[in-house]
Amino acid sequence: MRPPLHALLLLIALLALPMAAQAQLYQVPGANSPTTKEQVPLYVPQDDKVIGRVSIPDEKLAVLIQPEGREWREWRSHTLRLAIGGLAIGMTAVLAIFFLYRGTIRIHGGKSGRLVLRFNWLDRFAHWTTAVSFLALALTGVIVTFGRPLLIPLIGHQAFTPLAEVSKSIHNFVSVPFVVGLLMILALWLRDNIPEKADWLWIRTAGGLFSKAGGHHPEAGRFNAGQKMVFWSIVLGGMAMAATGYLMMVPFAFSGIGGMQILHVIHGLVAAGLIAAVIGHIYIGTIGMEGAFDAMGCGEVDENWAMEHHRRWYQEQLRKGYVENRHPAE
Amino acid sequence: MARMKFLCDAERCIECNACVTACKNEHEVPWGINRRRLVTLNDGQPGERSISMACMHCNDPPCAAVCPVDCFLQTEDGVVLHSKDLCIGCGYCFYACPFGAPQYPRTTDFGSRGKMDKCTFCAGGPEPDGSVEEYQKYGANRLAEGKLPLCAEMCSTRALMAGDGAVLADIYQERSLRRGYGSGAPGWSTAYGRNDRGSAFAPGGPSTGGA
Amino acid sequence: MLVKRSSATAPGSILKPAGPKRTGLLGALADSLEAGVSRRGFLRRSGLAAGGIAAVGALPGAMIRKADAGPVMPNVEVVTRKNVCTHCSVGCTVIAEVQNGVWVGQEPGWESPINQGTHCAKGASVRELTKGTRRVKYPLKLVDGEWQRISWDQAIEEIGNKLLDIRRASGPDAAFWLGSAKFSNEGAYLFRKLAAYWGTNNVDHQARICHSTTVAGVANTWGYGAMTNSYNDIQNSKALLIVGGNPAEAHPVSMQHMLRGKEHNRAPFIVIDPRFTRTAAHATEYVRIRPGTDIPVAWGLLWHIFENGWEDKEYIRQRVYGMDEIRAEVKKWTPEEVERVTGAPGSQLRRVAEALAKNKPSTVIWCMGVTQHTVGTANVRALSILQLALGNIGVAGGGANIYRGHCNVQGATDFGLDVSTLPAYYGLAEGAWKHFCRVWDTDYEYMKGRFGSKDLMEAKGIPTTRWFDAVLAEPGQIDQPSPLRAMICFGHGGNTVTRMPEMVKGLEKLSLLVIADPHPTTFAAIKERRNGTYILPVCTQFETDGSRTCSNRSMQWGERVVEPIFESKDDYTIMYLLARKLGFADEMFKHITVEDTRPVPEDILREMNRGCLSIGATGQSPERLKMHMKYQADFDKITMRASSGPCAGDYYGLPWPCWGHPEIKHPGSAVLYDTSKHVMDGGGVFRARFGVERNGVSLLADGSYSKGSEIEDGYPEFTMAVLRKLGWDKDLTPEEMRVIQAIGGADIDNVSWQTDLSMGIIRVALKHGCVPHGNAKARAVAWNLPDPVPVHREPIYSPRPELVKSFPAIEDRRDFRLVQLARSLQFKVADSDLRQRFPMVLTSGRLVEYEGGGEETRSNPWLAELQQSMFAEVNTKDAERLGIKDGSWIWVYGPEDGGKAKVRALVTERVGSGTVFMPFHFSGFWQGESLRSSYPPNTDPIVLGEPVNGVTTYGYDPVTFMQETKVTLCRVEPA
Repeated sequence: MRPPLHALLLLIALLALPMAAQAQLYQVPGANSPTTKEQVPLYVPQDDKVIGRVSIPDEKLAVLIQPEGREWREWRSHTLRLAIGGLAIGMTAVLAIFFLYRGTIRIHGGKSGRLVLRFNWLDRFAHWTTAVSFLALALTGVIVTFGRPLLIPLIGHQAFTPLAEVSKSIHNFVSVPFVVGLLMILALWLRDNIPEKADWLWIRTAGGLFSKAGGHHPEAGRFNAGQKMVFWSIVLGGMAMAATGYLMMVPFAFSGIGGMQILHVIHGLVAAGLIAAVIGHIYIGTIGMEGAFDAMGCGEVDENWAMEHHRRWYQEQLRKGYVENRHPAE
Repeated sequence: MARMKFLCDAERCIECNACVTACKNEHEVPWGINRRRLVTLNDGQPGERSISMACMHCNDPPCAAVCPVDCFLQTEDGVVLHSKDLCIGCGYCFYACPFGAPQYPRTTDFGSRGKMDKCTFCAGGPEPDGSVEEYQKYGANRLAEGKLPLCAEMCSTRALMAGDGAVLADIYQERSLRRGYGSGAPGWSTAYGRNDRGSAFAPGGPSTGGA
Repeated sequence: MLVKRSSATAPGSILKPAGPKRTGLLGALADSLEAGVSRRGFLRRSGLAAGGIAAVGALPGAMIRKADAGPVMPNVEVVTRKNVCTHCSVGCTVIAEVQNGVWVGQEPGWESPINQGTHCAKGASVRELTKGTRRVKYPLKLVDGEWQRISWDQAIEEIGNKLLDIRRASGPDAAFWLGSAKFSNEGAYLFRKLAAYWGTNNVDHQARICHSTTVAGVANTWGYGAMTNSYNDIQNSKALLIVGGNPAEAHPVSMQHMLRGKEHNRAPFIVIDPRFTRTAAHATEYVRIRPGTDIPVAWGLLWHIFENGWEDKEYIRQRVYGMDEIRAEVKKWTPEEVERVTGAPGSQLRRVAEALAKNKPSTVIWCMGVTQHTVGTANVRALSILQLALGNIGVAGGGANIYRGHCNVQGATDFGLDVSTLPAYYGLAEGAWKHFCRVWDTDYEYMKGRFGSKDLMEAKGIPTTRWFDAVLAEPGQIDQPSPLRAMICFGHGGNTVTRMPEMVKGLEKLSLLVIADPHPTTFAAIKERRNGTYILPVCTQFETDGSRTCSNRSMQWGERVVEPIFESKDDYTIMYLLARKLGFADEMFKHITVEDTRPVPEDILREMNRGCLSIGATGQSPERLKMHMKYQADFDKITMRASSGPCAGDYYGLPWPCWGHPEIKHPGSAVLYDTSKHVMDGGGVFRARFGVERNGVSLLADGSYSKGSEIEDGYPEFTMAVLRKLGWDKDLTPEEMRVIQAIGGADIDNVSWQTDLSMGIIRVALKHGCVPHGNAKARAVAWNLPDPVPVHREPIYSPRPELVKSFPAIEDRRDFRLVQLARSLQFKVADSDLRQRFPMVLTSGRLVEYEGGGEETRSNPWLAELQQSMFAEVNTKDAERLGIKDGSWIWVYGPEDGGKAKVRALVTERVGSGTVFMPFHFSGFWQGESLRSSYPPNTDPIVLGEPVNGVTTYGYDPVTFMQETKVTLCRVEPA
């Protein structure tokens, strides 16, 4: 297997301007003329892109030879799989170890039984639109990426092609709700995700994740720094995915072969990162933390959970009167 | 055992496009699908050369390596074919191909390209030789009739040659020796430079780079 | 296993290594058959049963064809037929595979000595012609701007009646009969005959606009107006000079021979052209010149040759008349002067001259870059004289290799589709008419009665470059009773002549326009006409049979591949129907079998064989031609001579002159004027066509004669008088004498080899090793031409006005029944500010994908896809200066009649700074507006574009009225 560094090198190679140098094709008989057949080279090294002119109105076909295809092939066959598989498996492994170490993070004060509204229906609709779309995109993407080594040996070519075909269609069409969801969460949550000074504390203490006693959480607003990171990963990463994805759906409309390859590399690298991030997100939103799923499940969270994890937000809710104040001021 | 290859002698190629229309004619290739094309380098300047390019039927075909559905196969004489029944039109083979050979019919504007189409070395496809299904999907199968690709057979100046690589090399080297210079055998190092001959393989096999 | 075609053998593969390697390859091919097994193995492994997968249904429509639409029909008998490509003059054999009467496949014609299996883009796509999706499918009539379908009967009836009305009112010369270089020889001959029986010399075809100046130039130099050698023979050349030609695009298959010559002989390959063409890309030396300065370049080369004593002095002494006068003119063209006028550096021309002189035999190849000029004939003569000085004419590997344009432009010229001659260059004098009246078995008085007058009968007609001037002329401005009122146009594009804005006006004014063509052509799509246009669907040469003559004078018989498609008919049938309606069919077809309504082409050819003695088109009987096609494989690929088989000894296609009756088995002449061979072996000498003496100097050859000649010196052409003088008249048979006496009457001495229908005089001359046309010197000075010694004359629209006074155009004059402006217009242009307003030079030329006016090829999707828009090549520097991007729209404005064209810019170094190039195959757009809706429904070509001739300007060669297409002025602006 190649090192993941390969992808970076490929990116650099692809971004570099096409070399001006072209194969030496024009010669005349002279002192250097071959005297035996063997002296006529058959395999003249050809390392640069060769671009000419074509009369057909299809500029991409003016590229005669693009050796970068070989690099892209390595990316597609090895690096991409390593990046997605490696990051996903790595993240899962880390989480598994963390789970063994930490277990489910309980609400320190136990459930109060009193609920506070954390995400209204619009928030949840936006989240789940994005989430379901993302999962569909990830799954279909993974099928197309890993189907050949993993699924074809199991189900055979004949069955895999329809699966891949459907996956491709789903991947293309589900991108629409994904982008809609993405735009909604951006509009709904942008204000609460603007980085602030307090986030530094959260990051320095790793959000108190490793303080097993669970006594102390860094103070956080509606979203803590970890959630902000997820937010920004999803929003920026998702945008990048959408942009590169749509450009790939209209191949060569805005770019030549090199650009298409770059798009695919970006799409793949971001996908790998996002998939890993989302695995972490899912973990912490489900088995990783007691009470967290409720926020997106029914929209209401236990007051104690809110006190512990998002005290500043909770207090704000109190101040605004969205929650009945049952705790005397400290 | 033959190892089928193409060789375009750029010293001879005059960009007459016979290869292109011969291909269209023989296989009834629709408008917009360019199984073979002419590319002119240094257009309008001394040293201008034109080269006829199509699938080169590489030793270690990148298209086959990146195909997510593993639809390629290489015949025992090195011809790279693919199954349109398996192809999903994803377009990856075009990104990987050094020569821009794969072509896709545009079926709709939104995201769905049709089944990939490319030069078959006039060897049809996986269907039985000379069958109607084979013709409809891939065009004529001249190899099965003991004929070589029509593009090369009709080349106006014998620039484009097709056939066993060893024979092509021999003709080309002989010709170059006679005139005093070669023309670089464009694409050979890229297509055939890796191994001397292609290892015939079937889908899922070890040499596809698929695993 | 199903087998696609009946035969699975590999006839002559492209790879032909000697001996064991071939079996190696065939073995390899056999192995490939085995590979089918592994392919089916693939099928099994992939879980697919053959043909039985659901996914087949998921294949997108674009790649699925109905079984009956594609060529493959397993287990249906395949018939192979042999025809000849209908595009350029190389004459490539086309092998057609036919199933159930449908042309389903094209195979390489390996056996053809000319193309040896190869084709260019056009040749490789000819099968599409008989699919014919854009063809005219039935007769059409334009009624108030709408096309109406009519029957053949109605079409012929109405056209005939209108023609007869015009004839009654305005005389036969009011009709213009435009024939085609795409006719077979038989069609061309028949069309000329049709015009004769109609009673006019207003009959012309494409040769006028491609090589009329070549024919006039070389015929006036050494006797015959044709390529002297052959494409194949160029493989013998030690140096090649291509002037004003781009065979890589115009004659791609010829490049096979040229590049072999270049490689095998390591021959210098020199291209002189204003444009760096696809041919120049393969040159060892490329000379860029200013358009329209070919004569200074030729004289510049000769200057070095004379200066260094490189000329062939003995050859000149024996075989050339008047070279000293040339020397005097050449002396003026010092390297400095040549560079000043042409832009070509003196040192480079010295290199070229040396290469030609020291690598002999060297050949000179030219095409329309030389011919389509106001000095076209003089250009041709200058290059011919260059070759004479080098002693390269009549030598294998040398020669003036003139690449003709259309597939049968040589044949159509030979068989008289011309305003100035009857078939075989007999001219229009009384003797010529009497000769053909004898051939046609028609009373001379009857024939004379068909014409407006005897004067008109013997006067050159109106040429195709000027027909619209003759429509628009007032009576009295033209030298015939009436302006043109009707045009009957067979197989000729409408965008091929310069000054199209004027042409459109002429078209508008015609009362009758008949277009007989497989495609509607530009003529049909001119909006200005709303009534009085008829379109007759003519089939292509693949749907009929007949012979065609390639550029190298070989005649090839094309076999009918399929029946005419849709309602189309072949040329012969339509001509018969017209002749019958016009009332002279019985007279015209007296000795030609007509089956139903179709004259039999074999019979037409036999009649031609009987009458066309002057060019030796007599030995090519249909039987011999068919035999050559059948036994193509027996002919050598370089000499073109068969060494075995039934054609042993013959040259392929019996290139004329093929003297005498077919029975005497003359082999044809592969290389004209070749004294190294016996005349019965294809040898020859320069033709004694211009008398025996001039100003006391003998015009006959001096000590030079063809091998085996009993007269070892020059001799005049053979007549009865000459035969008698030699005492060879005794060799004539009584039957021959009877014919000669019948022709000569009281004065048989004047019966010559050209008029002796018994061919006895020819037979006797050959018997004594003599060439019937006499043995003369070639003429470096042609005193009967406007410029006996070619002199440089600036184009009418010269980009160098300061040179105009030193190199003025010819005086204004009258010819071809019309006024020809030249010097007056040139001076007016030079004195005006046109040069400032139109600062660039416009030149035009060809693309490989298209041919001629382009309607046919632009209708073929396989070709049209490769060139989808009309363009103008603009030099990189000019483009930068004018703010023009590659691929953007630009306007090209011409200096006459508000001519303009909106085209795409192709920014390139192919043209030099200040020069613009446009291809001439486009039409269907007019000054920015699409004419697509004006075509009859479903016949509009796939690709339309602006015609370059919407911008080109006035200017005609004085000898042939060839149009100037290669130099005019223009202005380019971003659109």
